Amino acid sequence: MSGPLFTVSAPPHWHSGRLSRQIFWESILALSPVLVMAVIGYGLPAVRVLALAGAAAVVVEAVCERLQGRELDVDNGHALLTGLVFACLLPAAAPWWLVLVGVGVAIGVGKHVFGGLGTSPVVPALLGYAVCQISWPGLLRYDFVQLDSLFSWPLADLKYYGRAAAEAHGYADLLLGRQLGGLGACQAGAALAGGLFLVARGIVPWRIPVFFLAGLAASAFAYQLAYPDLAADPLFHLLAGSTLFAAFFLAPEMACAPAGRAAMAGYGLLAGVLVMIIRAYGVWPEGTTFAILLANLTTPLWDRIRPRAFGKGRA
Amino acid sequence: MSGFGKEFTKGLWREIPPFRLVLGLCPTLAVTKAADNGLGMGLAVIFVLVLSNMAISAIRNLIPNKVRIACFIVVAASLVVMVELIMQAYAYPLYQKLGIFVPLIVVNCIILGRAEAFAARNGVIDSMADGLGIGLGYTVSLTFLGGLRETFGAGTLFGQAVMPAGYQPLGFMVEAPGAFICLGLLLGLMNLVSRLQGRKSPASVSELPAQCRACGSCYRS
Repeated sequence: MSGPLFTVSAPPHWHSGRLSRQIFWESILALSPVLVMAVIGYGLPAVRVLALAGAAAVVVEAVCERLQGRELDVDNGHALLTGLVFACLLPAAAPWWLVLVGVGVAIGVGKHVFGGLGTSPVVPALLGYAVCQISWPGLLRYDFVQLDSLFSWPLADLKYYGRAAAEAHGYADLLLGRQLGGLGACQAGAALAGGLFLVARGIVPWRIPVFFLAGLAASAFAYQLAYPDLAADPLFHLLAGSTLFAAFFLAPEMACAPAGRAAMAGYGLLAGVLVMIIRAYGVWPEGTTFAILLANLTTPLWDRIRPRAFGKGRA
Repeated sequence: MSGFGKEFTKGLWREIPPFRLVLGLCPTLAVTKAADNGLGMGLAVIFVLVLSNMAISAIRNLIPNKVRIACFIVVAASLVVMVELIMQAYAYPLYQKLGIFVPLIVVNCIILGRAEAFAARNGVIDSMADGLGIGLGYTVSLTFLGGLRETFGAGTLFGQAVMPAGYQPLGFMVEAPGAFICLGLLLGLMNLVSRLQGRKSPASVSELPAQCRACGSCYRS
């Protein structure tokens, strides 16, 4: 008898049919309402920032992969998604060099230094944003650089002019993106719509956004109980600024969020509470970016909560 | 004399302290906001390192083995106090900028590391060469890192404007996280240069750590 008795092909033996390419292109599809609303709201400057960031992200990714001698995989859409998400956080008046530096840091340092797709410890787009925010705080103040807008920045109003100025923003206005903020991140309603699509498609596990928003709302409520004449109500905090965008497009980034059920809940709660703490006590009106960066760093700890192994008896 | 030259030059590239030995990182990260801070810190370390290496090497046969660490620390501490007083007398602004990191030279890994690994086993002349080389390597590294961070983070070098007018300084670089990222990128660059120089693959695959054997992207090519 000749030849092997039993041959096994290389794993995975049973493919679920999900591809990373499909996940990222569907995420870009989910982001499209935000992009459309951003272009409607801010016009040509928003197109400029979005196009520059998206194109630069793809180019930087291709250069990094070429330098590492890897197969080019920019067609899976992750670089484009990262670039667009990063652009969504910027004011529409961001100068071109700031966009390029941020994208370079996000893709180069945030993703490829750690080994490429799926290895980044923190959300790459947020890393780029944090570097820009520390370096040029003035240029990322939406209320300093976006002077020709009819709207104002609700979180800055809350911080500097008190509760009454914040509550002058109607909830419907906030939901429709009639507020000053990151060019895409302030489109709360569009982000919610895209996010629900992602949850329905199973790309974003529902626990992370739900517990993120719950943590923020609960801590906002507690803050309101403690300081009734200073604090805005929880619904304002959910709709103002980049909260909804962060809940669906930043916090659940696959490589940087934990995987277990309880872990996802804890991670979401932690990020939500941190947002409120930074908004209430920080120097910067918006808190989502640094809150999620900090929560990302705790992901390895959350991942120590192991799910019960399949087949082990229930105790 | 070839021994002297060999011990001296190894500190400049092959065992350059923060990048190759990865020692003395605390001041490397903390004081390199500007090139002149790095230079001042490096000079203080050269002074302490050369003299402590010589002193320890001279008394190495008198030190009981069990209390050698304490003896090394006492020698280093005496020298550091000298540096501190000299700095207060002649370079007070620098002393204020370096702050706590001058007294902390006592517990700098490089001082203790060279005492333990070299000075306690070699003659006075060789130890002096070793201290001079390692100290000079440390100074060069700190000045380079400080210069890099100052150039991009503040647009100046040794206090002189070097970037074109209209340059918006990348303030991130002079903050603490900028130090980590900058040092990490420099380490990667040094490894790249060494690999391009040497281009030698490991003797056998079995010497590699387990997780490397399967991949091998770093030595095949």
